[in-house]
Amino acid sequence: MKSSLFLASLSMAAVLGAGPAHAETRIAAIFDLTGGLNIYGIQQNNALNLAVESINAAGGVLGAPIKVVTYDAQSELSKYTQYANTVVLRDRVDVLFAGLTSSSREAIRPIARKANIPYFYSSLYEGGACDKQTFVTGASASQQLSVLIDWAVKKYGKKIYVMAPDYNFGTISARWIEHYARQSGAEVVGQDFLALTVTDYAPTIQKIQAARPDFVVALPVGANQTGFLEQFAAAGLKKTIGLVSTNYGSGNQQIVLSPDAGKGLIGNAEYFMAVDTPANAAFIKQWAAKYGNDTPVISAAVDVWNAVHLWANAVNKAGTAKTGPVIAALESGATFDAPNGPVKLEAGSHDLRQNIYIAEGDDKHGFKIVQVSKDVAPAYENEKCDLVAHPALAAHFSPDKQ
Amino acid sequence: MEPDYLATVLLSSVSSASILLIATIGLAVVFGLMGVINLAHGEFLMIGAYAALTATQRGLPFALAIPVAVVITMLIGACVEVLIIRRLYGRLFDTMLATWGLSMIFYQLAVLIFGTVTPGIGMPQFGITIGRYSLAGYPLLMIAVAALMLAFVYGLLTRTVYGMKARAAIQQPEIAQAIGIESARVNTMTFAIGCGLAGFAGAVLLPIVPATPAMGFAFVVKAFLAVVVAGPVALTGSALTAIGLGGGASLTASFLTSVAGDAVFFVATAALLWLFPLGISASWRRRM
Repeated sequence: MKSSLFLASLSMAAVLGAGPAHAETRIAAIFDLTGGLNIYGIQQNNALNLAVESINAAGGVLGAPIKVVTYDAQSELSKYTQYANTVVLRDRVDVLFAGLTSSSREAIRPIARKANIPYFYSSLYEGGACDKQTFVTGASASQQLSVLIDWAVKKYGKKIYVMAPDYNFGTISARWIEHYARQSGAEVVGQDFLALTVTDYAPTIQKIQAARPDFVVALPVGANQTGFLEQFAAAGLKKTIGLVSTNYGSGNQQIVLSPDAGKGLIGNAEYFMAVDTPANAAFIKQWAAKYGNDTPVISAAVDVWNAVHLWANAVNKAGTAKTGPVIAALESGATFDAPNGPVKLEAGSHDLRQNIYIAEGDDKHGFKIVQVSKDVAPAYENEKCDLVAHPALAAHFSPDKQ
Repeated sequence: MEPDYLATVLLSSVSSASILLIATIGLAVVFGLMGVINLAHGEFLMIGAYAALTATQRGLPFALAIPVAVVITMLIGACVEVLIIRRLYGRLFDTMLATWGLSMIFYQLAVLIFGTVTPGIGMPQFGITIGRYSLAGYPLLMIAVAALMLAFVYGLLTRTVYGMKARAAIQQPEIAQAIGIESARVNTMTFAIGCGLAGFAGAVLLPIVPATPAMGFAFVVKAFLAVVVAGPVALTGSALTAIGLGGGASLTASFLTSVAGDAVFFVATAALLWLFPLGISASWRRRM
């Protein structure tokens, strides 16, 4: 079956090659449709299909509809490597949209680099990924935390406690929290790094009380860590200590959490469904028509939507789906009127300049926006990573440990 | 070290250990009485949690949703025993493989039926204060729940006719059959009870651990290790190992980090298995 598919695609390529210049463009989607990460993966994949559908309805790219090749990474890192190689070697796609975790991105990045096809990573992340072929449409940790820490220090006070998952997203974010705390004249009075399997948060709750912070920066990842927020509220800590987060809501945690526990928690991201723009209203209407409106749309879905549109616009601008001209078009100040406000791709860092929203949880499993910071630059990525001046750069920058 | 801090740490460590014990008892019963390791135990927990959640969403009070969860998981457990476990008696690794496969099926079914996120029911918002520290009240309540659950299961297996039959059917199957005990039916009942206990655990822990398709994974590894370290006297042994290992891990996590807590759990498990290869209860005279 596989070989016949391969032959079919070969012969199709031969036919198309002999025909007019409008070759079909093929894009690959590799997301976690099953397994523990499918909270994010299903919506990312839905967003990609919705974006392709709307682009195709408007004439596709280069005058032909886009074709999608989809794989389920099953929340397993090894599947990302396997399918990234498959889409490059067998499906010969023009562009790759894939990944949620930082580890999945790091697995895919070298494959996209070697194959020399654009790769779009669409999730909030710890920041600093730097590669000619890689483009990031989610917010970076410094982009979010620069806004959040400043806001929280003014609102709650100068003593900060950090609760974070025990891997690079958590540890790098903690370094950024220290960095921005110093800038705001605040101080980190305690840190607790937790494995994703921990379900017992009583020790953390006690350490927080012993440290007496004014607010906690909690970065819970996965369903278990959502339990921390519930226990934080039940122990009565919410009354005296603020809780802010760069990823609360990113996996619809506000739905899982009880209204009592969720009320007053602060989330901070590049997108909330409550964002009030005409582009967002149109996007949500289109989304609800296809997928219903049972589950709120998460930021990673909007990141994918933006990525597909930025790529399609770049292909149409370049007049070809070939990698060199497409990357040049993406680096020429590509912008898009996104659901989360206007976004602009930074030529040097390949990260996105975009709005950052601070939102407060209400008692109806939802959010209301309390602050909009417009056009927040990925400052750290822009500072470290200039792919226009250094196209051969391939690195992952992270702030030094203090 | 301030006394109020020490008191809250001790109290919450006992409560953490009790939570592990609640999650472990069903596994211990099935292993102790049937010699079957049910790797789908975590998924029965998950089914119990979703059953209780669905029942509360239909307007049932939480206290009544728990028995509903128990009945549902017992029925599913009985079906699983008749369709799968019964055919694999005495083949420990085959049952492990079969129940592991079953766990994946249950997991994916939960994703298909309930989606990936469902609203939680929240933790009852009461707590206690010791000095300048406060603790959530519901997890502390689990100490009493674990004690009652243990007493109930112990009584069920040692003081009732079913309990005698169940032990006879496993320890002396031929003689049990000779005196008219229908061992197949008794085993179905035992497996169903084990699953029902998992369902109870999932339901009663729902305010602490929200219902998600993957919630079983969080418990099954530690519950499984507690049962293995316990050895042949599964019930009393597991109670001891769950309290010791779980409490020790939580205590360590309070004073150091959660990673150190997990390290203590796993290192202690390895050390105990090295000292007692057949489990700590291998030389005990007790039966349960």
